[in-house]
Amino acid sequence: MSSMRFSITMLSFVGIASIIGTILKQNQPYESYMVKFGQFWFDIFKQLDLFNVYQAIWFLTILIFLIASTSLCVIRNSPGILKEYKKFQDQIRETSLRSFKHCYEIHLPSFNKLELIALLEKSNFKVREKINASGDILIVAKKGSFQKLGYIFTHLAIIVISLGGLLDGNLILKTQELLGYKEIQIQDIPLSQIPNKSRLNQGNFSYRANVLLSEGEKQEVAIIPSKDGYLVQELPFSVGLKNFHIEHYSTGQPKSFESDLILTSKKTGKTTEQKISVNKPYTYEGVTIYQSDFQDGGTKLNIMVTDLHSDDAPQPLKSEVFKSNAISYLDKALSLEFEDFRLFNILDIDNSQKKKSRNVGPNFTYKIRNESGQANEYQAYQMPMKLDGRYFFMSGMRETPQEDFRFLKIPADSEGSLEGFMIFKQLLLNKKKIESTIKKIILTSEPSKSKELNANNLELSALKLFDTFQKGGYNAVAFSIDKNIPSKNQEAAANAYIKIIHLVANQLLIDYQAEKPLNRLFDFKDLPLFSQDALNAYSDSFFYGTSLFLELKDFEHVQASGLQLTKSPGQFWVYLGSMMLVIGIFCMIYIQEVRLWVLKKKGRKNILLSITTNRHHLAFDKFAADIKSKINLLKT
Amino acid sequence: MKDQFSFYSKFFIGLLIVLAGYALTQFHQYMDGYEISILIGSVFVFSWLGFYWTNFKNFFIAIFLLAFLSIFLYQGNLSIAEENFFLKYFLSSQSAIMWMSTLYPLSLIIYWIHLFNSQAFTGKLASNLVWIATTLGTSGLLIRWYESYLISVDIGHIPISNLYEVFVLFCLITSLIYIYYEEKIETKKLGSFIMIIINIAVGFLLWYSFAKGAHEIQPLVPALQSYWMKIHVPANFIGYGSFAIAAMVSMAYLIVDKGWLTQYLPNKDVLEDMTYRVIAIGFLFFTIATILGAVWAAEAWGGYWSWDPKETWALIVWLNYAAWLHLRLIKGLRGSLLAWWSIIGLFITAFCFLGVNLFLSGLHSYGEL
Ligand code: HEM
Repeated sequence: MSSMRFSITMLSFVGIASIIGTILKQNQPYESYMVKFGQFWFDIFKQLDLFNVYQAIWFLTILIFLIASTSLCVIRNSPGILKEYKKFQDQIRETSLRSFKHCYEIHLPSFNKLELIALLEKSNFKVREKINASGDILIVAKKGSFQKLGYIFTHLAIIVISLGGLLDGNLILKTQELLGYKEIQIQDIPLSQIPNKSRLNQGNFSYRANVLLSEGEKQEVAIIPSKDGYLVQELPFSVGLKNFHIEHYSTGQPKSFESDLILTSKKTGKTTEQKISVNKPYTYEGVTIYQSDFQDGGTKLNIMVTDLHSDDAPQPLKSEVFKSNAISYLDKALSLEFEDFRLFNILDIDNSQKKKSRNVGPNFTYKIRNESGQANEYQAYQMPMKLDGRYFFMSGMRETPQEDFRFLKIPADSEGSLEGFMIFKQLLLNKKKIESTIKKIILTSEPSKSKELNANNLELSALKLFDTFQKGGYNAVAFSIDKNIPSKNQEAAANAYIKIIHLVANQLLIDYQAEKPLNRLFDFKDLPLFSQDALNAYSDSFFYGTSLFLELKDFEHVQASGLQLTKSPGQFWVYLGSMMLVIGIFCMIYIQEVRLWVLKKKGRKNILLSITTNRHHLAFDKFAADIKSKINLLKT
Repeated sequence: MKDQFSFYSKFFIGLLIVLAGYALTQFHQYMDGYEISILIGSVFVFSWLGFYWTNFKNFFIAIFLLAFLSIFLYQGNLSIAEENFFLKYFLSSQSAIMWMSTLYPLSLIIYWIHLFNSQAFTGKLASNLVWIATTLGTSGLLIRWYESYLISVDIGHIPISNLYEVFVLFCLITSLIYIYYEEKIETKKLGSFIMIIINIAVGFLLWYSFAKGAHEIQPLVPALQSYWMKIHVPANFIGYGSFAIAAMVSMAYLIVDKGWLTQYLPNKDVLEDMTYRVIAIGFLFFTIATILGAVWAAEAWGGYWSWDPKETWALIVWLNYAAWLHLRLIKGLRGSLLAWWSIIGLFITAFCFLGVNLFLSGLHSYGEL
């Protein structure tokens, strides 16, 4: 097991498992895997723990084998290495010396031992000398012995790091789960009803758990997500959120997330206030608290509900995010479910400039669910947005989460409010007003034309046209043209109808303005453009899934901060191991171990110089040549 | 290369101290304790580099002169770049980087000419082009750093925070490592191979800039606002750059091994040895970078190891080169197997660097295309 081959095999397994883990997105909700792979593969993958590779028993087993193998290797090799580290090889025979690649015979009649030793020591060698019985002098020198220790450092480091990792790897929890003492909670039930089997007490020494807190809320437990469910972790303190702030750059992107926390120790009852933010965690009673994310915490919404297809008065509605309101509409019970609110929305809508995103203000998301349980999802922006130089209120609808939102664009009046459009809608639904306006237009239109046409007929068909438009917008008009007019005349008729609708709509506004001269809502340079936009909006509202339009009047923002609480006793060991690893690699790669012998036989004028290393690099040849020439210089 | 104790070295170290002192007195209110340590640490690192490598001193002084000239021309107003001739065409960060992107391809061509004609002139020209390109690119990044503060003080940040910026960094670091070895092993022949990978990066950079407008300076998301970024990212790129060089040298090795271009390229032993050296350097820095990444992750995400795709791929890269080193050092393996291995290693590295951002999603929040 301590063989290189075994450990390299294990390492390859770790590599392959890791690759699978990155390709198959980990720790997603199980339903999404089901949808993606189908029942058959889902079951197989689940059996293999492929959705949670890094927590899988088989993966941990490989890691344990790897540690065992490396440990055995270290245990086996270290004594030898330590011995080597200390040893000067002074028992070496001349024949061995001559067998080295870098072995030189140097003519050195004036051999001066001390001079040679000084030279070697200056080159950072450790030197020892030995004189044998026959008077031969052997000088033994070595340097870079740390290189050998590098092996111990690196491999020990890997063991230390892996053990630290296992310490944080919930091994104990895994065992408890396997033995049936603990159970992952799959259902979404209130905290108080969660059984002890799914709770972990304060004694748990290693965890990564989450808490979501609304402003003003306090919690004494945290949630540990696990596979397709979760466990509840008791905390040694309570954590409350006083305030959550987001700061933004001038461009609107978020710059910082900060939570003001109130921490109360369960043991001492003492309370501490502390600010945390991304990259600035805080450790309290052994638990480190991180800012991890944020979401809405139940923002209070003041809403005005208007029926776009009737002239009923708008209804005010008070609600909150995560709340649903029952309303009745046309004798049907509907429920309005408020799901999200966002204060800042960075969009890239202005296509005149390249890649300039900006903040377009708050939006809120809701669902309208009917009696049979079906729901459309809506997302509406509070402020109007500039499109093609005009301002529109954007409200999107989609039937399924897979779709993009399709937006209803309601033009803002000249004060930037929705009121103008609502007045316009009332005028459009007012049969009497329409009738009188049509009459007026026919009278004032060019006399020559009105003579030719039958004024009465014209009035009648215009009224019918408006009736159709009221009930279904342009689409209904097109439908009726399709049904009633021979195809060769259809295009001309459509053009004429649109012209009439535009004319009348514009006139409605002109008359309204004349009646109320103080009103400033329609101060447009190009009033017909506004009335056309308004007509389009009215017409599009038939594709909006509902005629109820929700306008966000004002709101009281409540945020929730996502915290991560971790206890990680392995961290120290992982860091210690990491330091050893760097030192070890440095020793192993950048320290060159060199051993050198000089043999001076009694009575000879030559000395024998041998230099060797355990790792042969090109630089070593240079080094050896260098030493040789230095020794050569001793002649003079 | 060896004039360690010369007057020039002393002058250079003095200059570094003066620069750091200036930065400290001028900008200390924007720095925390860690950043001050990084600044002081960088004085030591650059002194050490300059001490052993004369050309590094020239390089360093040149980039600072250019950067200061640019800052002087800007006069604290970003819009001057539109009017001032020098800024517009040379010394705004984008122009400097574009010059870099023109000179690297040119140097590739000259290196190839040099490979075959072996004249000292072409060799010198090619190396000088690399030096000039690298100088301009590095000043470009420094100027970009300054420009980010001109947009707004709170937007200002070190320009190694998105894919565009790190691609520039990759080109610069890879060139520097290469040119160091070029001087050390006294051959200019390898430039013809190594400049290939740098120019691939340049190609990507240009596409990314023109097609996606990626050179716009964007503010930092909160997770990236950390002093760790300033060490983690450069260390990583020393690793990436070294591995890229190792793969290109291995390519040259395989070509020589086949018996091609033998009269032009260095011999196999030299190529083999250089592959080992750069992988060793890269491995050390990549280890440090991965560890620093873990330390940073512990601070930003609440855990030193989350099996985030980027982390996991860093581990895979690391294991790959650890295996390579084992084979070479322990089994004493040499030859074409290791050469192929280091070329495949580059693909693994490239996937870690780019592929993860393109194909896998995770916590690493920069550099989506
Ligand atoms: C990923 C973790 C690693 C594992 C599991 C591992 C495992 C092993 C094993 C099993 C051996 C063989 C022991 C024997 O001969 O019986 C070995 C030897 C060796 N490893 Fe590693 N190793 C790892 C990382 C490293 C690293 C990063 C280096 C540094 C470059 C390294 C350098 C060496 C050296 C030099 C030897 C030979 C020691 C000698 O006999 O001189 N190892 N390793």
